[in-house]
Amino acid sequence: MNGGKAIVGRTSTRTAVLNLYLGAAVLRLALFTLFRGLPDLLTGRVEISTPVTSFKRLQEGLFLYNHNVSPYDGGVYHQAPLFLPLFSLLPDFSTLPVFTYLLYIAIDLLSANALLKIADAGEAGSSALFTSLRRDKRWSGLVVAAVFLFNPFTIATCIGRSTSVFTTCAILHAVAKAIAGAPFSAMVALSFAAYLSMYPLLLLPPLVLLSFDRQLPARATKSLAQFATSHVAIVGGVLAALFGMSYLITGSWEFLPSTYGVQLTLSDLAPNVGLWWYFFVEMFDSFRSFFLAVFWMHLSCYVGALTLRIRRQPLVVITLLMGIFNIFKPYPSISDSSLFLAMIPLYRHVFPLMRYTFLVAAIIMYTTFLGPAFYHLWIYAGSGNANFFYAITLVWGLGLSLLVCDLTFAVLRDEWEVERPEMVGKDIRQI
Amino acid sequence: MTEPTVVAGAVIASDKSTRKPPPPEKASDVRRRTWVILSFWFIVLCLLPIWWRTTTIYRANLPLDEMLEWADGKACRPVFPLRISIQADALQEQEAQNLLRLTQHALDDLNDFSGHHLRLQLSPPSTVEHQSRDRDDDTALIIRLVPGEFTSSTLDPYAPILDITYPPNTIPSPTSSSSSLAAYVASQLRTTFAEEQAIISYLLSTNSMPTEHRPQGLTPEAAESLSKRTTRSLKYAPTYHLTFSLFTSGPLPSSWDIEAAIDSYMRPVLDVLSPIHNFTIDTQVQLYASPGVQSQILNKEDLSSFVNAAEWPLSPSIGGAPTINFILFVGNQTIGSTAPSSDNPDDATNITTTSSWLLPQWGTVYLLSLPPSSPHVSLATLKQPLLTFTSHLLSLTGTPQSGSLPLRLSTLARIRSADLLLRASSTLGSLARLSLALPSIAIPGSVADGVQKTMAHLRLACETLGGAEGLAHARIAEAEAERAFFEKSMVGQLYFPDEHKIAVYLPLLGPMAVPLAMGLLNIVKEWTKRRREKKERGVEKKNV
Repeated sequence: MNGGKAIVGRTSTRTAVLNLYLGAAVLRLALFTLFRGLPDLLTGRVEISTPVTSFKRLQEGLFLYNHNVSPYDGGVYHQAPLFLPLFSLLPDFSTLPVFTYLLYIAIDLLSANALLKIADAGEAGSSALFTSLRRDKRWSGLVVAAVFLFNPFTIATCIGRSTSVFTTCAILHAVAKAIAGAPFSAMVALSFAAYLSMYPLLLLPPLVLLSFDRQLPARATKSLAQFATSHVAIVGGVLAALFGMSYLITGSWEFLPSTYGVQLTLSDLAPNVGLWWYFFVEMFDSFRSFFLAVFWMHLSCYVGALTLRIRRQPLVVITLLMGIFNIFKPYPSISDSSLFLAMIPLYRHVFPLMRYTFLVAAIIMYTTFLGPAFYHLWIYAGSGNANFFYAITLVWGLGLSLLVCDLTFAVLRDEWEVERPEMVGKDIRQI
Repeated sequence: MTEPTVVAGAVIASDKSTRKPPPPEKASDVRRRTWVILSFWFIVLCLLPIWWRTTTIYRANLPLDEMLEWADGKACRPVFPLRISIQADALQEQEAQNLLRLTQHALDDLNDFSGHHLRLQLSPPSTVEHQSRDRDDDTALIIRLVPGEFTSSTLDPYAPILDITYPPNTIPSPTSSSSSLAAYVASQLRTTFAEEQAIISYLLSTNSMPTEHRPQGLTPEAAESLSKRTTRSLKYAPTYHLTFSLFTSGPLPSSWDIEAAIDSYMRPVLDVLSPIHNFTIDTQVQLYASPGVQSQILNKEDLSSFVNAAEWPLSPSIGGAPTINFILFVGNQTIGSTAPSSDNPDDATNITTTSSWLLPQWGTVYLLSLPPSSPHVSLATLKQPLLTFTSHLLSLTGTPQSGSLPLRLSTLARIRSADLLLRASSTLGSLARLSLALPSIAIPGSVADGVQKTMAHLRLACETLGGAEGLAHARIAEAEAERAFFEKSMVGQLYFPDEHKIAVYLPLLGPMAVPLAMGLLNIVKEWTKRRREKKERGVEKKNV
């Protein structure tokens, strides 16, 4: 009946997309250039720059690298070695910062583009094994990309020049490629993400499933085991190649303990929005290694369970895992939240099933304002202490975990309603 | 208007009326749930070896029995065999041998302490080379028998030599079983070494030595004076830091010839002490220094508060070595006549106590009054203070007070080695008891290493006790034992009882464990139920 309108609404027209990208780029460039102090202010914020993504630390590593000193000397730089040649190619940051700005803007636009493709493919509403009853109610890629591009968290991350935007971009491209039926490209993109930040490696099982479900019929592999083995091998091969290149660049394997080792052992206890730092500041030394193992195991224990439980919708698993990583990873920042929040609009069709949207929105906004205030009280005013900030990060984690739970509930309810159509719209009780 | 309420009512009603049991779960759902729970348990199982690896406390194997043996003094019986050679150039070989035998008998009769044993030997007729070789040979004392008018003895002030003159008729005949000369020599030797023997027996008695090794015959008074002396002397350290301070009550004097004075009056003693201790020296001058007591005449009570610790720049310790302070105070204060000069009755420097006093384990203060306008303290003026300082230094380092200086110093070396040996042994014992008392204390490998080294050096020290080598080994042993006992990573874990582990595990792992355990329980329940049903169905089939 109104199919034409729906199509207009669903597929984004080229001009609209271009206008969106142009608007986002102009906004970022204006923030970069008109507010001179803003980029450096945001770079220094613990909510944006963690020890493993900070742009300041990247510059330190870059300086050492350009003076033929190992970038990992001094224990400041904890990021992947391949960033160094990339940023050395750009004109010097202190004289011509605009190129760095443009690079970051381009990365954001690339991420948005991948997100737009994911949304337009409609994977969220109807995957290979499951079709939601509510799939018609969804936002077009344009809206999803706009929500991502104009999310304040995304903008702040971009202005703060956190290197986590590269990881975000790689993850989104991996998902987009998997949905587009290009499993090899998806695996390569995921390898890059894993190389840059390590934790995206945990997304491999659902991503392999997603690629398997979305293979092009022409050259589809029938056996899941065979498909999984070959694609894990691809990831392994690409990672090995990246490590080899890193070795050639830095001349030693020192980068492994300095980048991944720091994430595994949490040797830098700088405060961030996550739950780890305070816990390990307080932890007895003799239990430190044990609880590091517990925290990492906790982070990874959801992968298998979620993949098994929501086998029919791998994209949901990826989204939920992003939310879980955002809460429980060792050095989270609002960049991870921006990635998770970017995926939420894909599930427009289950929004009516979510129960705590108002609460979650309130908590996220409230912590966004109180977090920096309490950090200021602690560090600068000296009238508070570490507990103030940690309390807010706890509430922040609570809000995000509420969102993850709520989304899980909504998706499962959606699946259940397909199974039991007679129960649509009725309350459920756990028995 | 009414429609919605009707609908709602209908829903509620239908909810209530149709409280039918939910449809049975699909087998695939049950299987999937099992897999999900098992996937969590898989992670937990992966964690178990990690838990074991990361929380077991590393306890290096310590040779506890051996350590306790050392502490109880069973491993080493400290014996100081002192070799004393007799030079009797004027005697026939036969006569000399006889005299030696008799003297040894007399000594053995007198001696009641087996740990301190004097052994006589005859040295060949003295030549210069022989003498020097004998000195190298750890001979504690040389007795030179010279014929003379009457029986007398003198200690050589510069070498460990006891000169004894005897009338020729006192030489024992080969057949006689006793001799006055032999008795005389024995008693002289005994008085010479009486103090050393007393100190060593005191050291052994204050440590946990088994009673059979303990010497008897230490009178309470002697023990008291010895304990006074040991409390006065500083704890042994390989290096002492000497601080010489000139404090003046007014603007003058502002300079002193301290370097020259140290070189001329103190350096010789420092040099002879150098096998036992190293010394580092610094000096300082402070004008307008006000003492802690302002009164003109100081009485005994004032002396302990004279040093103005709050204002005088006397740092407690420089570079880890204990500091000995020597203070020269220029002012017009004197020690009152009411202050008994017998403050330290056994002090060899009784004459100078009118202007100086010794602060136990800390140093010396010397009061010097000068004409008010003299701007400089000359070398000559410094002579008396420096000699006082030197004698107090010997007493602060624990040197015995009787006998000639070389004898006193060799005695000091022996006392120190015994002291270090006992101290290292008791540290080993404390470590062993500590590791037995706290089963949850971590013992790093470095502690075990330290213990091994300590025991090796203790064994060597015990074998070579009394010589320079023994002192060196005892020094290493003591240092290693202290290092092992005060190992940092061990001390940090000192108090970590098992209740703390519950406090660590329960709040963090308890909430995680509840859903995991409940999930596992459900799986097991379902599984048993299915099996029972299967069995029943099988039975029914059979019955049919």
